[in-house]
Parts: sequence; structure tokens; C-alpha cells
Amino acid sequence: MRPSFYDHLHPPTIPAAQARLRFTLGAGGLAVFLTLVVGFTGILVTFFYIPTPELAAKSVQELTFLVPFGWLMRNLHFWSAQLLILVAILHLLRVVFTGAYLPPRRLNYLLGLSLLVICIFLDFTGYVLRWDEGVHWALVAGTNLVRSIPLIGEGLYHALVGGSQPGAATLIRFYAWHLFGLMLILMAVGIWHLFRVRRDGGIAVPPPELRSDKERISRTELSRREGLAMLWATFVLIILAILVPAPLAPAIQEGTASASENLAPWFFLWVQQLLKLGDPFFFGVLIPLGAILLLALVPYFTPQRLSPAELGRWFPHGGRNVQVLVAVIAGVIILLTLLALLPLHI
Amino acid sequence: MRRGLILASLLLFVATGFAVLKQSRSLTPVGNTPSLTGQVEYCLTCHADLPVISQSHPVETFGCVLCHGGEPLALTADLAHSTLRGGGNPSDLTVVEASCGGEKCHNGTPQVNRDHIQRVTTSLQATYAGAIAQVRYAFGAQPDLTAQMGIFAIDGLSAFDPTAEASPAIQSFGMNCLYCHLTAQPLVGDEYSRWSGCSACHSPSPREDGTLVHQLTTSVAYTQCDKCHNRGNYSLLDIKFHPREDAPTDRLHDYYQPIAEFTRCEWTLDCIDCHTRQEAMGDGHIYNNKKEIQYIRCRTCHGTIESLPLTYTITDENDLALRLAFLNPKVDLKVGDTILMTDKGELLWNIRALPGVEGTTPSYELFSKATDQRLTFSPVIGSTCQQKPDQQDARDCHECHATQR
Amino acid sequence: MIAMNAMPRKGDSLSRRNFLILLGKGSLAGSALISMGVLVRFISFHSEASPPTLYDLGLETNYPLGSRITVQSVPATIIHDSQGYHAISLVCPHLGCVIKTTSDGFACPCHGSRFGSDGSLRNGPASKSLTFLQVETNAEGHLILYTSE
Repeated sequence: MRPSFYDHLHPPTIPAAQARLRFTLGAGGLAVFLTLVVGFTGILVTFFYIPTPELAAKSVQELTFLVPFGWLMRNLHFWSAQLLILVAILHLLRVVFTGAYLPPRRLNYLLGLSLLVICIFLDFTGYVLRWDEGVHWALVAGTNLVRSIPLIGEGLYHALVGGSQPGAATLIRFYAWHLFGLMLILMAVGIWHLFRVRRDGGIAVPPPELRSDKERISRTELSRREGLAMLWATFVLIILAILVPAPLAPAIQEGTASASENLAPWFFLWVQQLLKLGDPFFFGVLIPLGAILLLALVPYFTPQRLSPAELGRWFPHGGRNVQVLVAVIAGVIILLTLLALLPLHI
Repeated sequence: MRRGLILASLLLFVATGFAVLKQSRSLTPVGNTPSLTGQVEYCLTCHADLPVISQSHPVETFGCVLCHGGEPLALTADLAHSTLRGGGNPSDLTVVEASCGGEKCHNGTPQVNRDHIQRVTTSLQATYAGAIAQVRYAFGAQPDLTAQMGIFAIDGLSAFDPTAEASPAIQSFGMNCLYCHLTAQPLVGDEYSRWSGCSACHSPSPREDGTLVHQLTTSVAYTQCDKCHNRGNYSLLDIKFHPREDAPTDRLHDYYQPIAEFTRCEWTLDCIDCHTRQEAMGDGHIYNNKKEIQYIRCRTCHGTIESLPLTYTITDENDLALRLAFLNPKVDLKVGDTILMTDKGELLWNIRALPGVEGTTPSYELFSKATDQRLTFSPVIGSTCQQKPDQQDARDCHECHATQR
Repeated sequence: MIAMNAMPRKGDSLSRRNFLILLGKGSLAGSALISMGVLVRFISFHSEASPPTLYDLGLETNYPLGSRITVQSVPATIIHDSQGYHAISLVCPHLGCVIKTTSDGFACPCHGSRFGSDGSLRNGPASKSLTFLQVETNAEGHLILYTSE
């Protein structure tokens, strides 16, 4: 019998040692599943969302309070999106700390990093679509941050905002980015990323002759494990959706004064903390870009020290430089995030 | 693996069951689309047992959000109440323009009797300009009794700032004596309990058990006025407020502090039976003290030994008097009725001339605006009164007519 | 001695192992069914109010005897003749376009159906004549129109 499309999704067998949950954390697969959930629930909430400044927040409230299970779809969309970012970061850390960025996986590492950035922007554009007081100042600060870029800042700002200040045109553009522009790019890069996983030989393992554990699992067993993970993930998502609702605030009104504290969305809290230090372009654009650049350079940072024999386990000795670098970056970002949550003492 | 799959499937099933359970227990929205806004609002989902606030503000016409603000579609209390104007009191003077104001409501022109907000915000009860002027004059901060400052800046008055005053007495006045103007929060205690803004007079105070009364009324009993008035005395010696200490058991002694004597009508009737709309709510001008705006006299209703009280015959079915009588239905006023009028032209719609015999002294009937009393009275003309033309003040009438307390 | 749960015995109604498997599959099926139901309820919600079924057309004196007046908001034509007030719906019974009035009746601009001045079908892909709607006078002398839905 010739293999079907489904059979092509997985190789006939994969090494058992690296298929273990405690090695991969299931993070990559979980990210794919969460992307599917966020996309599907996204279509559903789009049935009721109205992208005009007057009706946006109102339509979100209508979805939450009037549509049967509207609260469920919105909360599932919210939680699958936030968990996707967290799981993607977890996956990045796993890849770095297991040395899975060595050639031939260098390109795939960069594709994956791009996916994280795309997901963060998908999260931000979705956040803005609420068009309520909770997002008002993040929108203003975020778009003005773009404006601070020399030379191209003004042009970028106008392309993003569609006018001289955030308004109806901005909302429609963010809607277009969120539903379409970023989604198309995510699909393209994502499919390429998944293809490259197969093309590069699957989960990073030592070459066969250097492998100590020869055990393998079949594609049926792998599918079963993935099915189990999907069931658990769905369960967690539903419980979260029931117990912790997505944020809601009154609609943006012209001329409202901001609350005493305006917090950025959680994934940008570290940038908000940086922006308290000084020049917006340096602290808000250059430093975050620098962090992404450093992460992008991971595969080029003393790769020769890490031999393929060390692959397939956590914290290989040869990758120490890179592990320290990424641990420091992660630690700094977490620290900045926590500091951002402290009161401002205005 | 198998056990894990079965367990996960079971838990997932239970979780979807919980989701359905949560949906089935969610509140069924009760919508109301008021005719003035055309926007549906769901306040009645939780607040359906609230009585209609007044016959002039039916919920089918006004809804709730037009006056109170709030989020019309929200079904959680936090979100629904997050944009309420003035918390529970949209008539607070900081938000009254948005709530009670607007071209079609209580913020228009005097010609159509729609200038309530302009009048109230410049009135002495709101600005406290008279009391401030007197205290500042008494302690040398200003050269005369002209009102210069109010609680808030408005219409030529600047804002009174006790901390910027040099005299410690005026500072003390600012700290101890500013509990009784329309923007102030009252002192703690049932005897002082009232709302701020328009509701200070027009909404009954919270009940003794703490529950609130959702009502707007023009039938304001003396007990409402007495939340600020007749509560005690300020002493210029120690610049403190001294609450009254008597324990009254009847209306007369409850009405007024034990300081003066009053005629029978002054405690049988309620304050608003005599004191006019302009006296209570101002006429849009800044006055220097109470005396300048208070102009009701005994003779306004009773006339003098030489003249009858001024009257006014209703000819138009849209007359203000008929509208006021409609708001507080105590008297069946009709076109053709003759009512009393003050010398500023304010209509005393609750006092009607009785049809009399030609050539005899007319008599009048008064319907109390707050109680269900109907009283008849005769004018001074034709009585045994000893009035002199140059003795027309209250104290002159009180000489004979005041009650021994 | 054969262990009790090692193999399902013939004739047994349901072993523990099979019961658990059934439970698992049943839970999955149940979750799937519930999810279908949830989706159906979600998608069936109508956020906009249905169009009104009652129209107040104003004073009946605005529709004098012999007049044929079109009320665009319904849409319908009000005819006042010797037998009283009649209302012809201007919604084409073919596929719902709004019908235009012609010199000798009505015509639909979408697919060319033609109707007489009494609404009867003359020509065209429509298979029914125009519908007559219920119209009556209320206590204040206003004409009240009821649409069929």
C-alpha cells in the first residue's frame, strides 16, 4: 500500500531517546497545535468582531456576553495565543540548550526565530483590535516608538497608522495585518520550518554510528503521543478559558485621561521597562533588535566547539558559550519584565 | 499510553461539560432599547427590581445609560460599572452636565425653563460664596462682604483654597465648616446623610438601614432640607461646628433648632411650600449672601393691610404652572385657575384662589407640596391685623403670630 | 491458576480493560458531539434585530380615495379604493428584488418579471403574483401595516 499524505507527515520510525518528553518537552509540536487552535478560534471570533473604532469594543462585549459560547471562543483564542508565545520561547530555549542549531539546522533555527517574532506581532495586533482603554496607550506608545526610528520612522509610522494619529484607518490596517498579512507570512515560514525539520533529519540526534541508544519508536506510537499531548493541551485550554477570562475594558473614548498606571502587554513589559531609562529609539528599538540579533547569531557563535556527537542531550559541553549567552539574555528579559510590574511611584 | 489516553479523553469530556454548564448558568440578558438612544442596554438583567426613578423619566424612554453612563452591553458588574458617571450619583456637579444636561434636558435656556444646571452651579448652595465671604471678611482677608470666592471657580468667583489663606481662623473654617454645600460629602450620621449635586434635594437620602432609594422627586420634605439646614451652629469663636443637642419629639421642635420662634405656617408647611425655585436653586446670578436671593415674605401669600397678594391666571395649557403641578400631583390645576405669584413673577402653583362671591374678600387654598395637607387662608385685608406699612418684615409678623416654644 | 484479569473470558459481558477503552472512546465521542453543539449554537446567534413586522404609515387622511402611494421603507404600495385600503408588497416573489412601478402595473428590474396594477402575474420568471399585506386603521386614525413574517 502506498503511503498517504498522513503517512508523509512523520518518518516510519524516529529515535526513541530524543522522542522523549523530557528531551523535547513536546514544545515544537505543542506550538503547531496551539497555532491551529488560535487560527480556528480566530475564524470564529471574526464572525462577530467589527473593525471600526465605534463598534470594535462593543462587538467584543457582545461576543463575550451575548453570543452563546462567545466567551469560550474568545478566551480560547486569547489563551492559545499567549500559551503559543510561551511555548515558542520554551522551544527556542530547548533548541539552544540541546545544540540543535548546528548545520544543517542553521537556517531552520533562523526560520524558527522569525516565527517567534511574527507570533509576537500577531499577539500585539490582536491586542490592539480590542480598541478599549486597556490597549489605548500601548497603541499610542507602540506606534510612536516606530516613529522614533531615524530616516524611515515617519514613513513607517504612516504606513502602520494610516494617518497622522491612531484612528479608524489604524484599526483596519491592524485588522488586515492580524487576519491576513502576518497570518500569510506565518503560514509560509511555518510550513517551511516544518519541512526543514524533516529535511534536516528530524529531531537533532548524534549520527547513527555515535548513538548509544539504538531504540526507535514507530510513527503510530509517535502519533499516539501527539494525540495524547493534544488532548491534554485542549483540556488545559478549556479549563483556562472557563476559569480566567480574557481581559475586557470600556471602549476607547476621545479625551480620556489614562489610568495612573498603564502596563504594556506582558510580552512587551521588558521593553516598557527599558523605555523608562531614556531615549525611545535606543532603548525601545535598538536594544530589542540587538537582543534578537544576538539570538540570531547563536548558530554562528563558536559552533566548532560543539561536535555532533554531543547532540541529543541537554546542556552539551561544547555549546557552553551559547548557553550562557542565551541564559543571560533570558534572565535579563525576565528581570526587566518583573521590574516593569513594580508600581511606578508617580 | 492507553491509560493516559483514556484519562485525557475523560478529562477533556468533563472540561467540555463544564463549559456547557458555565454557559447554561450565565445570565440571560434582559435588554431594554430606550427610545431616546436606540441602543440596547442590558442593565435590567441585574437591576430589574429597581423602581422607575420618576414618572418623567420612564425607563422605556431614557434607559439607564443616558443618565448614569456605564457599559450597556456588559454583564459583569466590574465592567458594566467601570464607566459610571459620578459613581452611584450621576447628578454630582462634576458630571452633571453629561448626565442631566444636554440641549433637550436640563441645560438649556431660561426662556424655555431649561437652565437648571446653570442656575444650580451658580447658586449659593453650590458655591457657598456667601459664607466664605462673611468668614473672610470677619477675619480681615477681604475688605467687604462681596462674594469673591466659591467652593469651585465659576462665573467671576475664584476657588476658595483654605491652605492659601493667611488667617488660621479661615484655614480652620476650611477644615471644619465646609460640609454643607452641594459638592461636599456630608458628615457621618443619619441626620446628615444625603447625596451631592442635584440629588442632595431631589433624591431621598439613603434609608436608616443603609438601602438606597432610586427616586427623583420635586416633592422635597423638610427633613431633606434639614440634612444641611437646622443642624447646629458654627461658632466664630472656635471655628467649629456645634451640632444641635436637643432630642425633638414633635414636628415643630424637629423642624428648627431651638433658637427662634416661628409662625404656624412655617412649621406646618414644608420649606418648599414657601421658598421658591429661584430661592433654592438660584437664578443664574452670583449673589453675595442668602438675604439677597431670599425674597419670600409673609406678604407674598397673605398680602398687606392695603393690598392683596399678586395673582396669575393660567391661560395656556403648556403653562409652567401646569407642568410643575403635573410633576408633583397634589392639586388638580387647570387652565383658567388663578394662582398666587411672587413679585418676581415666580408662580406659586400650589396656592389657588378660591372662587368667591363678587365684592367679598377672596380666600385661598394651599396644597402642601410634600405632605397631603390642604389649608385655606384669608388675606390680611379685612382682618384685625395691626400691620404698619413700614413694618413688613418677618419679625414684625412674628411679634403676634410666632409660637411659644 | 489463570490470573483473573489476564484475558477476557468468552461470554463475559465486558472486561475492565474493554470498559476503560469504551469509556475513553465514549469520552472522545462525547466531547466531539458537545463541541459540534457548541459550534452550532455559536454560529446561530443573530446580533441584529430582525426587521420590524409592523409599520405605522401615518394618518389615513394622507392616503385619499383613488390614490396609489408607495411607501419605500416597507416596501409596499398603498392603494385606497372604494373597497378600502390595500397594501401590495413590492418585494418580488421570484428572488426578492424591490419592484418598480410602471405605467400599467409593476416590473422587476432584476429578471424582468411583470405584474398588473392589481399585482397579478403577467410575465417573467416569477411564478406568483405580488402579495397583499394586511393593513388596518387604528384608534388614532393611523394606517398600520403588517408584514407576513
